Amino acid sequence: MEIAVRVQDVSFQYANQSDYALKNVSFHVRTGEWLTIVGHNGSGKSTIAKLLTGLLQAEKGRIEICGIPLNEETIWKVREQIGIVFQNPDNQFVGTTVQDDVAFGLENRGVPREEMTERINEALKKVNMESFLEHEPHRLSGGQKQRVAIASVIALRPRIIILDEATSMLDPRGKKEVLAVIEQLQKERQITVISITHDLDEVAKADRVIVMNKGMVVEEGTPEQIFAHGEKLEELGLDLPFAVKLSKRLKDAGFPLTGDHLTVEGLVNELWTLYLKM
Amino acid sequence: MINSMIIGKYVPGRSLIHRLDPRTKLLMMFFYVFIVFLANNVWTYTLLTLFTLSLLLLSKIPFSFIVKGFKPILWVIVFTLLLHVLMTKEGNMLFQFGWIEIYDKGVQQGFFISLRFLLLIAITTLLTLTTTPIEVTDGMEKLLAPFKRWNMPVHELALMMSISLRFIPTLMEETEKIIKAQAARGVDFSSGPFSERMKAMTSLLIPLFISAFKRAEELAIAMEVRGYRGGEGRTKWRQLTWSYLDTLFMLSLISLSILLWLLRS
Repeated sequence: MEIAVRVQDVSFQYANQSDYALKNVSFHVRTGEWLTIVGHNGSGKSTIAKLLTGLLQAEKGRIEICGIPLNEETIWKVREQIGIVFQNPDNQFVGTTVQDDVAFGLENRGVPREEMTERINEALKKVNMESFLEHEPHRLSGGQKQRVAIASVIALRPRIIILDEATSMLDPRGKKEVLAVIEQLQKERQITVISITHDLDEVAKADRVIVMNKGMVVEEGTPEQIFAHGEKLEELGLDLPFAVKLSKRLKDAGFPLTGDHLTVEGLVNELWTLYLKM
Repeated sequence: MINSMIIGKYVPGRSLIHRLDPRTKLLMMFFYVFIVFLANNVWTYTLLTLFTLSLLLLSKIPFSFIVKGFKPILWVIVFTLLLHVLMTKEGNMLFQFGWIEIYDKGVQQGFFISLRFLLLIAITTLLTLTTTPIEVTDGMEKLLAPFKRWNMPVHELALMMSISLRFIPTLMEETEKIIKAQAARGVDFSSGPFSERMKAMTSLLIPLFISAFKRAEELAIAMEVRGYRGGEGRTKWRQLTWSYLDTLFMLSLISLSILLWLLRS
């Protein structure tokens, strides 16, 4: 399996801070994989996104993106491989209208105009925003703005998409829309997804999860494995999804539930068939 | 309120004037400001007024919108008119009342100068009413492009302008939010002596500035990640197209200038 991102023994310290934001962090992401990095505020998870795109330079260690070692000379080449969707929908909207915003990244790359129009339309169609071409940002909802941000990213055809708390300012509906779009992209285009979040609901979609605390990787595994020891996550200040909590409580109360439930649907399915087994 | 002042000025439409290239409109306005000063008699002023009126009619914008543009400058016009009528002591005396002496040259001069003001304002209002701010920005960028040779940061200026335009509604919304939040905490923005109200404003301005700086930083990061490295090697998605209409309007302005030159005394 091809490796999209390899992070080796990376340490980083912000100026004027005594503690390291990241301490000897190592992990890798396979091509086409969905990796979620969870941790509460200050665990160093957002620093990772900034290091991967060269916005910050690691003090120690190696970062390799799609086989390219990240350093000052390769920084723009690496940025061509990565797209980031940030937390605040307003502060990443550069253009005056939806189509201008998607065009911005393409203009920066010097894409010819005819090709631009094509790529803008294609990208906006992918995120179901093709009927909002001429809308200004203040006429869009948060979820719509985030979908435009995704369109701006995929118009550049990156191999890796990083979601840096991209759904944390959205309402449940906007969150669902955004995650559905990303999921579809990952499946259709083999795009590698790195999602950085403190929302454990998002974890269920991941292929693999890394739990961060105080700048270190404390746990790694599939969502099922991570949720199996839920108390530990709660100790780190993370809130378990409702389905996981309920399923655990029911099991503790003696109901013969099989397996772990990461989503409400999974739990409901088991519950309504349970009576037949009892 | 401020929102309607800056953004809400544009009146959408598909008229001839709306469809003109913003470069044409900017250039016409620029030269119009000069040729207004060519007019100096009844004939030239009539010609100029007719030309301006036909532009206004072609734009299909209700007259009330243009009149709104006159409002802030109305007292200047009235003042100029009175000043000329009362102070010019040339030609034949028309009227005398105590120390007030009114001469026909004064009345004429007063009317001409006021008309000049009105025409200038009508034309500039017409530009903002028929052109979106982003079109004005694009037009300016293209027109100023030759100055790049002398190290004028044309692309950067245009980008700054378009980002400011994009963030005006966002910051307006934020201002409203902060006003409400501070009012809920007991800050009084609207009553009390002037100095008190100014002091209350700091509780609005400081959070607004902090948030604007934070936005700026996040925006800069987002732009960098999307590959922004300055104007070099960049392509432009927005294109301006010069049509026969634009040539036609420019020619009409040139003919107007020649006629004014010939008819002026």
